[in-house]
Amino acid sequence: MNTVVLNQALFEAAVATLPADQLAPVRNRAAVLFSNEGFPSTRDEDWKYTNMSAATTASNDWLSEYRTSATIDVNAQQNQATLQEISAQIDATWLIVRNGVVDSLQLQSLELQHGLTISTLADSLNLPDIAIDTALSAFNAALLEDGIHIRVDADLRIERPLGILLIDDPSLRTSQTRIVIDVGKNASLRVIEVARSAVDGNQFTNAVTQIDLAAGAQVDHLRLQDRGKEHIGTHRLIAEVQAEATFSHNAFDFGGALTRNDVIARIVGSGASVNLHGLYLGSGKQHIDNHTRVEHRVGPAVSKEIYRGILTGQARGVFNGQAIVFEGADGTDANQANHNLLLSDKAEIDTKPELEIYADDVKCSHGATVGQLDEKSLFYLRTRGLDVAEANHLLTRAFAAEILSSLVVEEAHEYVQKLLDARLAELLGDDST
Amino acid sequence: MSNMLEINNLHAGIGETQILNGLDLTVNSGEIHAIMGPNGSGKSTLAQVIAGHADYRVSAGTVSYKGEDLLEYEPEERARRGIFLGFQYPVEIPGVNNAYLLKAALNAKRRHNGLAEIDAFEFLQLARKKMSDLGMDPVFLNRGVNEGFSGGEKKRNEILQMAMLEPELAILDETDSGLDIDALKAVAAGVNALRDPARAIVLVTHYQRLLDYVEPDFVHVLSDGKIARSGDKSLALELEEKGYEWIREAAAG
Repeated sequence: MNTVVLNQALFEAAVATLPADQLAPVRNRAAVLFSNEGFPSTRDEDWKYTNMSAATTASNDWLSEYRTSATIDVNAQQNQATLQEISAQIDATWLIVRNGVVDSLQLQSLELQHGLTISTLADSLNLPDIAIDTALSAFNAALLEDGIHIRVDADLRIERPLGILLIDDPSLRTSQTRIVIDVGKNASLRVIEVARSAVDGNQFTNAVTQIDLAAGAQVDHLRLQDRGKEHIGTHRLIAEVQAEATFSHNAFDFGGALTRNDVIARIVGSGASVNLHGLYLGSGKQHIDNHTRVEHRVGPAVSKEIYRGILTGQARGVFNGQAIVFEGADGTDANQANHNLLLSDKAEIDTKPELEIYADDVKCSHGATVGQLDEKSLFYLRTRGLDVAEANHLLTRAFAAEILSSLVVEEAHEYVQKLLDARLAELLGDDST
Repeated sequence: MSNMLEINNLHAGIGETQILNGLDLTVNSGEIHAIMGPNGSGKSTLAQVIAGHADYRVSAGTVSYKGEDLLEYEPEERARRGIFLGFQYPVEIPGVNNAYLLKAALNAKRRHNGLAEIDAFEFLQLARKKMSDLGMDPVFLNRGVNEGFSGGEKKRNEILQMAMLEPELAILDETDSGLDIDALKAVAAGVNALRDPARAIVLVTHYQRLLDYVEPDFVHVLSDGKIARSGDKSLALELEEKGYEWIREAAAG
């Protein structure tokens, strides 16, 4: 049970210091909503396994010195180096976002394809709807300094991926990031979010990404979370998918002490297609919680979801995959799978698929497995001269390969593979039981 | 000609079940031996014990390979020292690239022998050459190990691994089962290509069919966990004619 509560007076004082820009009405609405609900507690069914006490403490610390701590440029040089390192390996147009605030000088220097518009939310000429559908998304909106608004005009295909490097600096105990992406009719965009910590430290980042796909649009979205070992991160992805649109999401979670991802994919037009692929790796005492919800509001439409986890040490994974087929959403084809590899006795996974079907003509499937490496394969590899460690590594890598091979943003493939291999090597050397 | 494999009074089993009951076998370099026998006579157990499968427990007897106690070594150590087991049921390993495994296996052996790792170009040339000898499409190199392969393709893949690794002692466990005539000929050609005075090959088989294409120097019939009869290739023909019951009756009689 959570024993820590957010300091309401500090919260209200912080909200009051934010500017009277076009986000102000949203902030105030969100503040009321959050004040009524507070941080999620383990008494909530959706948060049964994931305790937000440490996140609440970090938030109280942050609010107690709100807007007095100068943090933005502490690691500016290092952040540039990180940007260079990543941009040398992934060919994309890169934005840099520090503690939720986009580097506006760098943004202005970018040469963007005509029809692709990027601005801050406060400056956006078409302020989009800011989702405040949960306590955490309300906490985010209420304390949002600013956010990022990305728009693609109709019928436009953006060739080069758009990279967003999210660097959070633990000298600021908490940060709020909000990215809103609107992709017009029959337009397409590929987005890469890379979340890193400037330095390792105890920090809570609360992020929301909203993606709206108009009819016939296509969005490939990659989120690569490679934070520091003490980091607490929550991320909420909300995708609204219109008729004939295709949304693909690839999530890789490698870092962080406590990670909670919520993915909401809302199919609101017929002929839409949603693909969700996730891979999470945990060692030590890492805690990784993935909650996904695919809403088939109309049919026919197709959704496919595969999440895989590799856990060792005393790591804990949580997977909850909801598929809801609304009344009348006939012709829905939804399938979901969650497979887990436990490499130690003390690693743990709680996996729960949930299907709710209110339509008649549907095809739905789900499956979850938890297991160890296959003994037969292990012996086969050893008879070919590979030692146990090498065979383990190869089979573990193979388990992850299915998710990696589904990564649609080709430009990032090699980089993700490299991080994955390094992380697997760490995992397989972990004997903290 | 030197002594490659020497098995004396081998007793082995899996769990509580005793399968091999005092098996003796000597295989010298340059020789091809065929081990035949009905289902359940212990043929596959013998192959698994030589390869080092941990589920099979040796309760008595010795197995020496080139004069050393083979049972002391882990499976990977046996492979690096030159033993190859062609599996009756090769395992499918999706996500592990066939070329990657071939190269890793080859390099494990080269490192053991104090050689440098093979370079990428040389490896590819060698693999392509061996595949063409076996009538295998080079696309199989980039597939997952045995992933979605037909029965015949899996067996060819085993022979490809053997051809690349050039073992000193190859044990082929029912490599001929379930093969059509073309695949059988390709597998036989692969085995014959490996025939060498410095090597020994043990063919474990249920049927005489493969022996039409690979001529053995010795044929042994296994019954109830030991060798019931040994002879030359004519023994295989006799078996084909009279069936395994004949051996059992002779052994009992």
